[in-house]
Amino acid sequence: MLKHTLSLAAACALLLGAANAQAASPGRDYISIVGSSTVYPFSTAVAEQFGKTSKFKTPKIESTGTGGGFKLFCSGNGIDTPDIANASRRIKKSEVESCSKNGVNEIVEIKVGYDGIVLANSKKAEQLKLSRKDLFLALAKDVPSPDDPAKLVSNPYKTWQDVNKDLPNTKIEVLGPPPTSGTRDAFVELVMEPGCVEFASIKALEESDKNAFKATCQTVREDGAYIEAGENDNLIVQKLEANNKAMGIFGYSFLDQNTDKLQGSVIEGGEPTFENIAAGKYTVSRPLFIYVKKAHVGVIPGMSEFLAEFTSEAAWGQDGYLADKGLIPAPKAEQEEFAKTAKDLKPLVLE
Amino acid sequence: MSPTLLLAVLLALSSLTYRLGSKRAFHVAKKPDSPVLHSRPGYHGMLVALWCLLPALAIFVIWHIFSDDLLSAYAVQSFSAAHGELSQARMELLLNDLRNLIHGSYFSREIDPALQEAADRYLAMRQTANTALAVVVLTTATLAAAWASWRISPALRARNQVERVVKICLTLCSTIAVFTTLGIVLSIIFESIRFFQQVSFFDFLFGLKWSPQMAIRADQAGSSGSFGAVPVLAGTFLISAIAMAIAVPFGLFSAIYLSEYAGPVFRKIVKPMLEILAGVPTVVYGFFAALVIAPSIRNLGMGLGLPVASESALAAGLVMGVMIIPFVSSLSDDIINAVPQSLRDGSLALGATRSETIKNVVIPAALPGIVGSILLAVSRAIGETMIVVMAAGLAANLTLNPLQAVTTVTVQIVTLLVGDQEFDSPKTLAAFALGMLLFVVTLALNVIALYVVRKYREEYE
Amino acid sequence: MHSNMTSDSSATAQVRRSLPKRYARERRFRFLGLAAIVLTLLFLVLLLGSIFLKGWTAFQQTHVRLDVYFDPAKLDVGNLNNADYGALVRASLQDMFPEAESRSERLQLNRLVSTGAAFILQDILTASPELIGSTQPFWLPADDEVDMLIKGHSPRDVPESARRLSDRQLGWIDSLLAQERLEKQFNTAFFKNGDSREPELAGVRGAITGSFYTLMLTLALSFPIGVAAAIYLEEFAPKNRFTDLIEVNINNLAAIPSIIFGLLGLAVFLNFFGLPRSSSVVGGLVLTLMTLPTIIIASRASLKAVPPSIHEAALAVGASKVQTIFHHVLPLALPGMLTGTIIGMAQALGETAPLLMIGMVAFIVDVPQSLQDPATVLPVQIYLWADSPERGFIERTSAAIMILLLVLLVMNAAAVYLRNRFERRW
Repeated sequence: MLKHTLSLAAACALLLGAANAQAASPGRDYISIVGSSTVYPFSTAVAEQFGKTSKFKTPKIESTGTGGGFKLFCSGNGIDTPDIANASRRIKKSEVESCSKNGVNEIVEIKVGYDGIVLANSKKAEQLKLSRKDLFLALAKDVPSPDDPAKLVSNPYKTWQDVNKDLPNTKIEVLGPPPTSGTRDAFVELVMEPGCVEFASIKALEESDKNAFKATCQTVREDGAYIEAGENDNLIVQKLEANNKAMGIFGYSFLDQNTDKLQGSVIEGGEPTFENIAAGKYTVSRPLFIYVKKAHVGVIPGMSEFLAEFTSEAAWGQDGYLADKGLIPAPKAEQEEFAKTAKDLKPLVLE
Repeated sequence: MSPTLLLAVLLALSSLTYRLGSKRAFHVAKKPDSPVLHSRPGYHGMLVALWCLLPALAIFVIWHIFSDDLLSAYAVQSFSAAHGELSQARMELLLNDLRNLIHGSYFSREIDPALQEAADRYLAMRQTANTALAVVVLTTATLAAAWASWRISPALRARNQVERVVKICLTLCSTIAVFTTLGIVLSIIFESIRFFQQVSFFDFLFGLKWSPQMAIRADQAGSSGSFGAVPVLAGTFLISAIAMAIAVPFGLFSAIYLSEYAGPVFRKIVKPMLEILAGVPTVVYGFFAALVIAPSIRNLGMGLGLPVASESALAAGLVMGVMIIPFVSSLSDDIINAVPQSLRDGSLALGATRSETIKNVVIPAALPGIVGSILLAVSRAIGETMIVVMAAGLAANLTLNPLQAVTTVTVQIVTLLVGDQEFDSPKTLAAFALGMLLFVVTLALNVIALYVVRKYREEYE
Repeated sequence: MHSNMTSDSSATAQVRRSLPKRYARERRFRFLGLAAIVLTLLFLVLLLGSIFLKGWTAFQQTHVRLDVYFDPAKLDVGNLNNADYGALVRASLQDMFPEAESRSERLQLNRLVSTGAAFILQDILTASPELIGSTQPFWLPADDEVDMLIKGHSPRDVPESARRLSDRQLGWIDSLLAQERLEKQFNTAFFKNGDSREPELAGVRGAITGSFYTLMLTLALSFPIGVAAAIYLEEFAPKNRFTDLIEVNINNLAAIPSIIFGLLGLAVFLNFFGLPRSSSVVGGLVLTLMTLPTIIIASRASLKAVPPSIHEAALAVGASKVQTIFHHVLPLALPGMLTGTIIGMAQALGETAPLLMIGMVAFIVDVPQSLQDPATVLPVQIYLWADSPERGFIERTSAAIMILLLVLLVMNAAAVYLRNRFERRW
């Protein structure tokens, strides 16, 4: 009896194996999108709307990270490759080159909006009012010595009050993204570097030793005050709830959803609210992009319709559903420009 | 005839030939002057069935590997005649259109008549090809079966032949492991080599500092990246050791209680319940470790005046230990249960208590299996990813203090692979190098374990 | 005689004296075993309890009763697919609260009802076009913000700026509650739908189907292959370098991080064999390779545990080696093999990391129809939802975990039944 069960199982396995080897697999009739996990929540919202309101299938969107996305995107033309890449940073020259080496020559770049990066803590604690200089002092690995500003010492500050006596006397404990993350990269560029050049001694370094200057401005401390917490922003939010002494760095949409528990710190006088970020009064925000493979438009069903949906007022406008999901709309003029790019499929030219 | 139907027919045919083969063997044996059959009739039947199935199946599979390419090439012949030569990528997209058309999926544009024609050609050809395939496959099956059943004679060593086929199958199955290993090595070695072209091999292997703070954009050349793998490996072993410190005692005692003390009903209920622990998605454990266990350990530590990192190795290790308890408990329970009762009876008859019997007789007898289950649990702990991603954090401290935050190889691999940096940067490539390193290290450990276990077993037997 | 007595009694006395100690040790040992089980089960209960407490509310969803007028002016009978069904919902809300006049107020009002309501109306009308011109009451899903408020996951006693819903919207919600137009109903969408970015529309059907396809393939391949490999290694393999190599390999594979299997899948199944990305076929194959070592190791251990007397008896009465193993040894080793399979499959069912590299960590709305369709699986769905900003996804994450555990239980029950049938002690 046992033998029969076994042979039956083997037969089933064979059948299944044959079924998947079955030739003439259907072609791809849906759009395939890969890339950044930051753009993922917005792309998926558009995709879902697109799938429900058009006669096309809902696009498939993978969350692979920006770099992994470009790697797939640039691997060539053809149905095995994605049609659109989400990116939380601009495509790099080397990536464009690798694209064109594989025959992907015409890429259309669309800036879909902005993502605010916030520093937040629990509502049970005090709201911090910080300058970028404060943040640099609190988070950089090496800072100018408090006694002799010309000398760099490894960061001695333990509490926020050490950094700036107007700040509360709580331990510096910041949960933030790891060095592989685009959010971290943008935070360093938008906060640490401007904060860094406010010191005359470091500014002078920029002239004399560019590498040392960058190393000073861009390296985040590793002594435990900055805790690399992975890419899961919800986890950071929940950890902040559990520990009201800690601060967290994450995307604006997570603050937006948790305003009853968390408060965003004021940075350079701007509070991280939707209006402030959109108006440019809150400085820490970065653009988000999608990149479209022009060769696939018109071949994969629904490409141009999907782009039209993405760039429609109902989606990325001030009151569109993407704003509801936490995407900060680009200024009107910029939107018009990119909507036109999307319509004409004007390929990207990197200067 | 559709391929699935054809396959079903083929299977039916081979089970039919099994019957016929066995019957014929009976008839041969029943002849008055016939010597005794070497093999039982069932083996003769099975041999016939195998002859019916295997050659035909081979034809079927080979055709299906090549048919799509052949058919598509045939179908687009007319198309490229009209449009001239096409590039490889254009051709692929064209074929996609063609396939969408063939499957009646929604189509993005006006249908090109040339394409429609190609699709029609494809469909017509596929029809013909499928019919031809059916004829060829079924003929082969029938002929081969007929030949095999003609060969049936009392002297035919049918059983040996069937057993040879079985043995070949078994051998093939066991070599899959080797191929998997080969595949893994091949899929990570090239990137690892590229990594070592940029980062010195010795810095990687013996470096005491792991900090992949390298530039994401081209204009940030400054920040240093140090890729010393020692703290990452040490973190992996620290967390695994904590996990084993939980899993081995808990798992082993559970197994002993289940197999030696518990009543059958208790065991029947509890064992599957413990096995649930192995099936809870690791993401869930990760959340639990990060949001429940880690804060409680931290608060406890603060109460005792100990400095505890909010993402301590202890939290991740504890939860991971709980997750792998079933690996030890269930497998060891099966092994202990299989120790012959006579051993226990002998020991009990001499006046030993049950615990003495277990400690001195049952466990030593079951030891090879128990060691196997523990090895499996260690492996699982080293390879576990999501719990540590969520709970252990990324700070690469070189420490043995379980209250500190450490990172593991798997965490680093995941964060490096799904990051936003350029894919060819040393950061991403470091993931492959770490994978390679872990591979080599566990391989070495396994080789040692094999020798140790073998030596120990020889002494025991 | 005296001395004889003492020596005799001293041995018995010694034993007798040691008895209380030995019994105490026995009790302690037994207690330790029970304590290990109880503690482990306690942890399980804690874990499941925390999931259940967080997740059970997701099986209900707040619905709004709207009187929808199928306005013939807005609906063209010949072109029902392209009509603006959202307009019907908006008109109905407008009728109920005519005081919302400004554009921003109306926008706020419309946000009370899920965007999915329009698609529900579309389905209803497509099924029965005769409704045009009539006014019908329907229970339509409320927006996730409303749902969170009604379930108490979002507080209302905080300043307006700290809430997702404005004071105005709260007023409307209260008035809907007073009219009994707002109530929690069983969340059918959770079982009927695929993934969605709107918590109130998101469901697990796509993920369950994907998991089903993937695991069926994994089981169909890994169990027979694993058992076969174990039999070969344990019973047939000559003890030489090659089999040592295989053995070390298998033990080593068990320790390989699962994400590396994803890299293997990417290189071999996608790039080399050209199988479709994100499909359950590739997922099933990768998970097969991942679970094989577990099954092989467990199967070998249980083969090893079959007493040699069984072998010898069968061989002695003239059975061939293959017959001995398949007829006598294998049935006895099967319970242990099934245990290995249960654990291996449980691991495969809960695994996310390897699927990352083969494109299964993806937003896929359509329910997969075959092994080759793009699919995602339950743990991936859980992982993706856990990473979503919307608060409604928190409870749905836990609910999806509950579903996953249920699948696991059903799967285990089948294997446990088989195991109990085959198990014996000798």
